[in-house]
Amino acid sequence: MITITINNKEIRLERPVTVLEAAKANGIKIPHFCHHGILEQWGGCRMCLVEVEKMPRLQTACTLFVTDGMVVMTESETISNARRSVLEFILINHPLDCPVCDKAGECKLQDYVMQYGPTAGRFKEPKIRHPEGLNDPLIVRNQERCIMCTRCVRMCSGIQGASAIAVTNRGNHSSMEPFSGERFDCEYCGNCLTVCPVGAIMSRLHRYSYRSWQVTDEIQTVCPFCGVGCTMIAQVRDNALMRVVPKLGLGSNKGLLCNRGRFGYEYVGSGERLKNPLIKKNGKLQPASWEEALDTVASRLKDIKNSSGGNAIAGIAGARCTNEDNYAFQKLIRGLGSNNIDSIARMGFAGGQRIFEGMLGPGVTSTPLSGIADSDAVLVVGGDPSEVNPVLGVHIRMAFKKGAKVITIGHAPGLGRHRTAGLLPHPQADGVVMGGLISAILKDKKSLPGGNRPLEEKITVMHLPSADDAAAACKLSAEDIGRLAKQLAGASSVSIVVGREAGGNKDTAMLVSVLSYILNARIYLMSERPNEQGLVDMGCLPDMLPGGRPLAEEGLRKKCGASWGIDIPADEGLTLMEMIQAASSGGIKAMYVMGENPAFNLPDTKNTEEALRRLDFLVVQDIFMTETARMADVVLPALSWIEKDGTYTNAERKIQRLKKAISITGMEDWKIVAEVGKRIGLKMPYGKAADIMKEIARVSPLHAGLTYADIEGGDNLWPYKGEPHKNWFSFPELSADAFTSPAEEGLCLMLEKPLFHSGTLSRKSPALNSISPEAVLRLSPATASGLNLKDGDFAKVSTEKGSLSLKVKIDRGIDGPAAFVSNNFEGRGLFSLTGYRLDPVTKSPLTEGRQISIEKE
Amino acid sequence: MNYLLKNIENPNSFDVREYEKAGGYRSLKKAVEMEPAAIIAEVKKSGLRGRGGAGFPTGMKWTFANADPKFPKYLICNADEGEPGTFKDRPILEKNPHLLIEGMVISGHALRAEYGYIYLRGEYPDARDILNRAIKQAYEKGYLGDNVMGKGLKFHLTVHLGAGAYICGEETALIESLEGKRGQPRIKPPFPVNVGAFSMPTIVNNVETFSNIPCIMEIGPEAYSKIGSPDCPGPKLYCISGHVEKPGVYELPMGTTLREIIYTHCGGIKGGKSLKAVIPGGISTPVLPPSNIDCPMDFVSMPKHGSMLGSGAVMVFDETVCLVKVCLRALKFFEHESCGKCTPCREGTGWLRSILSRIEDGKGEKEDIDTLLDVSGNIVGKTFCPLGDGAGSVVINFIKHFRPEFEEHIEKKGCKYKK
Repeated sequence: MITITINNKEIRLERPVTVLEAAKANGIKIPHFCHHGILEQWGGCRMCLVEVEKMPRLQTACTLFVTDGMVVMTESETISNARRSVLEFILINHPLDCPVCDKAGECKLQDYVMQYGPTAGRFKEPKIRHPEGLNDPLIVRNQERCIMCTRCVRMCSGIQGASAIAVTNRGNHSSMEPFSGERFDCEYCGNCLTVCPVGAIMSRLHRYSYRSWQVTDEIQTVCPFCGVGCTMIAQVRDNALMRVVPKLGLGSNKGLLCNRGRFGYEYVGSGERLKNPLIKKNGKLQPASWEEALDTVASRLKDIKNSSGGNAIAGIAGARCTNEDNYAFQKLIRGLGSNNIDSIARMGFAGGQRIFEGMLGPGVTSTPLSGIADSDAVLVVGGDPSEVNPVLGVHIRMAFKKGAKVITIGHAPGLGRHRTAGLLPHPQADGVVMGGLISAILKDKKSLPGGNRPLEEKITVMHLPSADDAAAACKLSAEDIGRLAKQLAGASSVSIVVGREAGGNKDTAMLVSVLSYILNARIYLMSERPNEQGLVDMGCLPDMLPGGRPLAEEGLRKKCGASWGIDIPADEGLTLMEMIQAASSGGIKAMYVMGENPAFNLPDTKNTEEALRRLDFLVVQDIFMTETARMADVVLPALSWIEKDGTYTNAERKIQRLKKAISITGMEDWKIVAEVGKRIGLKMPYGKAADIMKEIARVSPLHAGLTYADIEGGDNLWPYKGEPHKNWFSFPELSADAFTSPAEEGLCLMLEKPLFHSGTLSRKSPALNSISPEAVLRLSPATASGLNLKDGDFAKVSTEKGSLSLKVKIDRGIDGPAAFVSNNFEGRGLFSLTGYRLDPVTKSPLTEGRQISIEKE
Repeated sequence: MNYLLKNIENPNSFDVREYEKAGGYRSLKKAVEMEPAAIIAEVKKSGLRGRGGAGFPTGMKWTFANADPKFPKYLICNADEGEPGTFKDRPILEKNPHLLIEGMVISGHALRAEYGYIYLRGEYPDARDILNRAIKQAYEKGYLGDNVMGKGLKFHLTVHLGAGAYICGEETALIESLEGKRGQPRIKPPFPVNVGAFSMPTIVNNVETFSNIPCIMEIGPEAYSKIGSPDCPGPKLYCISGHVEKPGVYELPMGTTLREIIYTHCGGIKGGKSLKAVIPGGISTPVLPPSNIDCPMDFVSMPKHGSMLGSGAVMVFDETVCLVKVCLRALKFFEHESCGKCTPCREGTGWLRSILSRIEDGKGEKEDIDTLLDVSGNIVGKTFCPLGDGAGSVVINFIKHFRPEFEEHIEKKGCKYKK
C-alpha cells in the first residue's frame, strides 16, 4: 500500500501509478495535452507540471510514478505561472482562428486558456507558417494548429500498428505528416482524430457544418458494419446524424474505430434511400401505399402457401438487422409453415460455429476480445482480421507488440508487419497445413490432454499427415511447420482466429477444433456482419429455433410453436444455397428477403440471379434499391440502424443495444414483418422493439428473462441469464481428401475483403467511396510484371463463369500467385466469376473455379 | 605528463603498432586477468567522473548497470561531440583511437557487455575512417572479437554515424537514434543503465571517460585520484577557442584555473587585447566576466563561480566582440537544434532568437530585455531535457553580466561593433 498526499488530501494506492492517474482517480484534475490513457507516455507538453516536495524542479504528473510518502501540490502560484507560460508558448505560433475551427468548443487548448487566463500578448514576431494539408478526401491536416503532442503518431504506431504518420522536421518546424505525403495512404481508421486535443487533424465529413455545442443529443449505440460490434456515440443535431465518435475505454473496442465505422455513416442520409413501398406493375416497380404493399405481400404469400404448401416459401434473414427484426422474421416464415429460413451467416459463420460447439461444447466461441491482446500466441486462419474485423485485427497487433507469436495461414496482408510467420498454402489446402501442425504439436506434447474422450478417440483415427508429408503436399518447408508447432505448443495462452473461409469448410473447422483442444486455445470467429451471431441465436436457421434449440427435438418444437400459436413443421428447411437451387428448380416459389442482397452477395451471381428471377413472388425489404430489390415484386423500405431500437449480438456473442438516435417516417424491419404477420393471422402484437425482446425472453431458454435493462446493466455476455442447450455434441467425419492439396498450378483467384467496404451500405457512403471508388484487380508486383501489367492498366479477368474488365492495382502486400478481386462494387463482383460446391456438413458454399486467365486490355 | 594525448605528436599515432610501441593495450592485458567486479571497484576508487558534461561518477553508473540482472548489456561511447566550442574528443578519435578502443574493451569486460557502439558525430567523417581502420586492426590483433586476447572474452565494436542532431548527444536521444528512431530524449526513469539500447542495460560514456580507463588501470586508482582536484580527479582535456594566442586542445590536471589556461597555456589574449568574456564549458554553460576567471575548472568548483565545467570547451572573447551577437548566435543554434518534443524549448528558443535578432538589428524595444528574461525563466527548469535549460540560462547569464550592452543596442538602435 502506497500513501501519498495530493493537495493536502491523503490518498492510498494499491500499486504505483503516475501522479496524474492517482489524482484523476481521486477527482483531482491536472491539465494535460500529450498524455492519453491508452497511449505510451510522452511527457512533452509540460502542461501537467506539479510541485513535489523534496524535488527541486516542477515535475510532469503524467510521467512521475508515486512513491510512498510523496507530497504533491497540483495547483499553486508557481504551477499556474508555469502552465500559463506553456499556453503562451503554444499560442505564439498557433493561429487564433477559433471562429473557423471545427474543434472550437471541444478543444483542450481553448479550455485551458479559459481556465488559466490569457497571456500578455507580448509576442511581436512573425508566426511560423505551415501549409494546410487539404489534399486528402477524409482527413484535413492543419499543422499550424498542431501543438506537437504526438498523440496521433503514438496512436498510429503504438495502438493501431499502422505507422502511417510521423513527425517530420525538427524543433518549431516540426509537423505531423503521413509518410505518403499530403494524401494519406493508410487504413483510415481515424483513431488519430480521436486523440488530437486541438484542431490539427480533423474529419472532412463534418467540416464547417456545425459547432460541437450545437449537438443536441449523444446516443451510445453499436457500429453497423461488422461483427466486432464497436461501441460508438452518435452525435445528433436537428434530427440528423452529424458524426459518430468512439469513447475512450468504452466497449470491446476500447475507444477505437475503423474506417467503416468512423467514416461510413453517411449512407444514412443518402438521397438513394428507399422511401416508399414499391409494387411491380406491368414489369415496373411503382410507388404504392403501405396498406397496398403489405396486403399484397400477405395475400400472395398466403396464396402460394395454399397452392404449393409452406415448403414453397423461403426467407432470407438479415445480418444487419437486429435480433428483434430477425426473431420476428423467422416467426413469420415458420408461421407460413416453412423452415426454409437462413441467412448470409451460412457463408461460414454458422457452420463453423456448429462444428466448434459440436466438438468442444456450447459457447466455445463466446470469448471476450480482450483475450487476444493477452495471448502469447495467436493463430489466424481463413481470413484477414485486419480487413474483415479491423478492431479485432488491432488486438492481434497489440498481442504481437507485447511479444506474442502471431502465425497466419493463408493471405492476411493486414498482419504483414505484425506476425512472426505466415504460411501460404493453396487456398484449398489449409487442412493439410493444419494437419501437419497438429501432428507436430502432438509429437511435441507427447500425449493428448485428456478430458474430451470422444474427441480424443476421433483424433487418434484422423490419419493426420506428418509435418514432413504436409509440407511436401503443400510445398512448404517442414522446418517452418515444425518451428511454428513448437511456438504454439510452448505458448500458455493461445487464441485462434478463424475466418469465413475456414469456418465454412468442415474439415478446416474440425481441425481448428482439434488444435483448440490440444492447445487449450480460445476460438474467435470473424464475423463480417454486425449480427451474424444474432441470426444464429434467434433461430434464423433451417434446423434451429430461437436460443439454439434443435428443431428436431419434438418437445422443444411443440413448446415453441404453442407459444406462437402455430404448428412448427418438423422437417428441417433448406439452407441458403439450397433455397437458391430450389428456386431454380421450381421447388421454392416465394421468397422474402430482409436486409440482404442475395443477387449480389452469393457466389455464382449469374445462376443465383437466374434462380431469383424464376420465383413467382419475391419480396425485398431493404433501405436501398439493391440488385435483388430491382427484381422484386414488392419492395418494402425499412429503417437504418440509427433509426431504430434493438439489439445486435456480436462475434463475442455479447448482446448490445442499438438505440434510435433520429426519427424518420417509415417502419422498422420488425414492424413491417409484424404487419405482414398480422395479415396472415399470426400473433405479433409488438408496439416497440422491447416488446419483442420480452417475447424472446419468454420463448428462448438462452435469453430467459433477459431485458434491455439487463443488457445495459452488463448481463450481456453469453449465456446471459439463460441456459445454453447442452447435449448436442457431434463429430462429423473428415473428408477423404481433407489432407490433400489441389494439384492445380498457376494464378489463383481470391476474394478481397477490402478494408474500406463491406457491402450494400459501404458503397452508399461517399466518404468510403472517395478513398476506394472502384473495383480493382490486385496483383503482386511479380505477378503483374509477369503479365506485363502496370498500375492503372486495364485487364480482362476470365474464368469458366465469365469475365470482368478491371483496373490493375499492384499491391506489395500480396504474396504468391494470387489475384484478388472484391465483391463490393455493382457489376464488378468476384462472385460473378466463381462457382461453388456445398460443404456436405456446414452447407456453406465453398468457392470453386479459382483458375483465371488475365489479359491486358 | 600526458595520458590522454600521449604519443599525439607521432604522425602515425593512430596505428595500432605505434600505439603498442608507446605502451598501448598493456592496461587491457592487465584487465583481462582481473575479475569484472574488481575493475569496477578500481574505477570507483579512482574517483573518475564522466567527461561528457554532467560529471556523474563513472564507478557509480557502472555499479548500477552491473546490478541489473538483464543481459545482454550494451556499451555505448558517446562521440557525438556537437556542442559549439567543443573539440576535445576529436584528437582522441583521430589521433589516438586505440586508447578509446582499449578503454571500451576494458569497460566491456568490467560490465560483462559483449557489444559496444561508438555513436560518432556525423560531421566527423575523418574520425569515422580512422576509427574503422583502428577497429579492424584491433580485431586482427585479437583485442576485439569472440576471443579477446585469447581469454575467451567476447567484445565487438561498431561505429554508428549520427545524422547531425545536437540532441543526439543526450544519452537517451542517442539511444533512440542508434535504434533507428527519431532522435528525441526518453522519459527517465528508467535510466539507460536499466533500460537502454534495445531495452537492455546500457552504459553510455563519453569518449574522454572511456579513454581515462586505461590510465586508471595503468597507474592504479590511488595514483590517479591524486591528479588534479581531489573531488574530481584525473587528467582533463580542455579545448580553447577564440581570441587567445594559442588555441587548441590541452591536457591538464582537472581543476586548473581558467586564468592559468588562458594566460599560461594559451599565451593570453590575442594581439594583447583585453578579455571581455569567457564561456568556460561549451555554449550551454553560463558566460563569465573577466572578474570570475580565477575559478578552478572542475565539476565541483565551477558552480560556485556561477558557471559549469561542461565539456571543458573554453571560448574566449576579446573587447571587439558584440556579446548580443554571441548570445544571438547561441540561440540560433538552440532554436535549430531543439528537437521539438517539449513545448517550452520548441517554442521558447525561437522566440528568444527572434527578440535577440531584433535587438542586434537595432529594432529592439525597451521591454524586450524583461521579456527575454521572463521567457528564459519560463523555459529553464520546465523542459524535458537540459537543452532548453541551456538555452534559457545562456540568455539569463549574458543579460546578468552584460545588461548595459543589451540596453545600449536598444537605445542606440544598433550594434556599435558592426564593421
